[in-house]
Amino acid sequence: MLISSLYRQLIIEQENQVDAHLFAEMQRYQQLALTVNRRSFAAQIQASDPKTALIAWKNSVDMVGALTFLPDNMPLLPETKEFPIFTGGPDKLHILTGGLAMTNYGPVLIATRTDQLAMLIEKFVNAAFWAVAFTLGLTLALGYIFSKAILRRLVQYNQLSEQIEAGHYNTRLPVSRQQDEFDMLAQQFNRVLDTLEQNLRAVRGVTDNIAHDLRTPLSHLRIGIEQLSEKPQAELEDARAELLEELDDCLATFDAMLSLTRIEEGQQLLDLQPIHLQEICQDLFEMADVIAEAKDQVFTIDLKEDAIIQGDKYLLFQALFNLVDNAIKYSPEGAKIHIEQDNKCIKIADNGPGIADEDKERVFERLVRLDPSRHYKGTGLGLSMVKAILSRHQASIELTDNHPGLLVSIHFK
Amino acid sequence: MTMRILIVEDDATTLKYVAEGFTAQQYSVDSATDGQEGLTLAKHNQYDLIVLDRMLPKLDGLTLLSALRTSGNKTPVLILSALSHVDERVKGLRAGGDDYMTKPFAFAELLVRAEKLAQRNVVEPATTDIEVGGLKMELLTRNVTLDGKELMLQPKEFQLLKFLMEHPNQVISRTLLFEAVWDYHFDPRTNVIDVHIAKLRRKFEELGHGELIETVRGAGYRLCKGH
Repeated sequence: MLISSLYRQLIIEQENQVDAHLFAEMQRYQQLALTVNRRSFAAQIQASDPKTALIAWKNSVDMVGALTFLPDNMPLLPETKEFPIFTGGPDKLHILTGGLAMTNYGPVLIATRTDQLAMLIEKFVNAAFWAVAFTLGLTLALGYIFSKAILRRLVQYNQLSEQIEAGHYNTRLPVSRQQDEFDMLAQQFNRVLDTLEQNLRAVRGVTDNIAHDLRTPLSHLRIGIEQLSEKPQAELEDARAELLEELDDCLATFDAMLSLTRIEEGQQLLDLQPIHLQEICQDLFEMADVIAEAKDQVFTIDLKEDAIIQGDKYLLFQALFNLVDNAIKYSPEGAKIHIEQDNKCIKIADNGPGIADEDKERVFERLVRLDPSRHYKGTGLGLSMVKAILSRHQASIELTDNHPGLLVSIHFK
Repeated sequence: MTMRILIVEDDATTLKYVAEGFTAQQYSVDSATDGQEGLTLAKHNQYDLIVLDRMLPKLDGLTLLSALRTSGNKTPVLILSALSHVDERVKGLRAGGDDYMTKPFAFAELLVRAEKLAQRNVVEPATTDIEVGGLKMELLTRNVTLDGKELMLQPKEFQLLKFLMEHPNQVISRTLLFEAVWDYHFDPRTNVIDVHIAKLRRKFEELGHGELIETVRGAGYRLCKGH
């Protein structure tokens, strides 16, 4: 389209130029015929530069000028016509464009060579052809290269899925710096794989931990039951109670695990009701006070502005109590424990041993316990439960250093 | 007066355990092993309490309960469930259950809960005083004496002792005590009850009767009628 319109434009422009040129020459010779005599006129025609224009005049006896004949049916200028002539030169055939100019001394043929124009047109067509051909070629080549590149990436994706199917969850797709759609897709893929791998590792960790956590009490139980028959009558009751306690701990772990899954998956129905955060914190303080007192700890509470949220009273209390209980349990005798509630923010601070930065996220994982000796009694699910309950209440929890000790900050929305 | 109890439970072991336990306590026990039978029995007899399993053949526990409540039957229902604690609290109680226990459980705790529910139906003369042995509690004045000597109790200690005195000589689990004192239902897995009991016991010791509050390992606490 563009090329053809360009082409047309060029032709029209060239034709206009030829027409204007011929018209100017016609006016010149008409003027000349008025001012000079027949002989000088002929001389002028004879001397005219064929590069400017080819002039031919049929004198009364012979032809004067560049042509040896006058072609038939030539129109009067400004009408023009193309006609061929033969010369003796290497380019034998020439194309001329011209017309007749009526002068005092009769008709004069004024023409100009237009085979350059034809050549130009031909060159143009040639150039256009090559341009089109080149563009087409380039497009095909680039298209081929691109499709190769796309195919290569699809092959990569395919290989990745095969590797994942084979259980190599650490495989990732390469991401180039171009940030194109493929890179975005690859990044998304990699993120999904990260989450998947993390979850798998968590599940594996949980399974290992369950095995460890339940193996120990179960093997105690086994030993205990085996020894029951050898116990003297007086010790029997105590031994039985001890076994029951051990068994109850296992069951508590199971129940907590079950509940945790239900809460995390959102299957757990929440018994929503308006909760005054001030009231729940006051209850928390009253319940935990005796435990802190038993450890000679300084337990204080600071209630500022009250806030009401929608929540499950029991679950929320369980979560908050767990945090306070932990603060008391892991802080030494004489430590300071403080609860602060201001609007939708609750802070529980202690000056106990705190939690190392690298463990601050880890403690929320299931069955992760920071004391490897399992010296403190617990299911190892407490903080996972806390986090699950809080996230069901759209609340965030953050662990920071209290210099020394731990500061737990909870924000409700 | 003998209490009539209906137990709807399809697991033979649990049914035997619960039925024998109640029979030993002089209860009159009927039992059903599927939901349909349970509903028929519940509709045609007057019971003081129904102990209902959650998962039953033919008609599940919650459907049975809803049907019962829709027909206007207000017999107290205690749900036994193998589901988790948190699940039951919302679903079971919402369906019209009066209390619930998750399996496995200690019969002692089931008995206390059953008694609490069954008594709710009996119109008792308003008691103002409770007496257990030498221990006397005036509910109106909140005055507590042991052998005539006054015991100064904190509000929570008072509530704990009241619950123990209402169930003398019975083993009371920590969970039960927890629920009696606080309006929060969860397994605290904490020694908060033990600390309160320890403080209470110290006050008894000062009057020379620390042995009245007995620790039952693996189960809970018991108030002895003692002397």
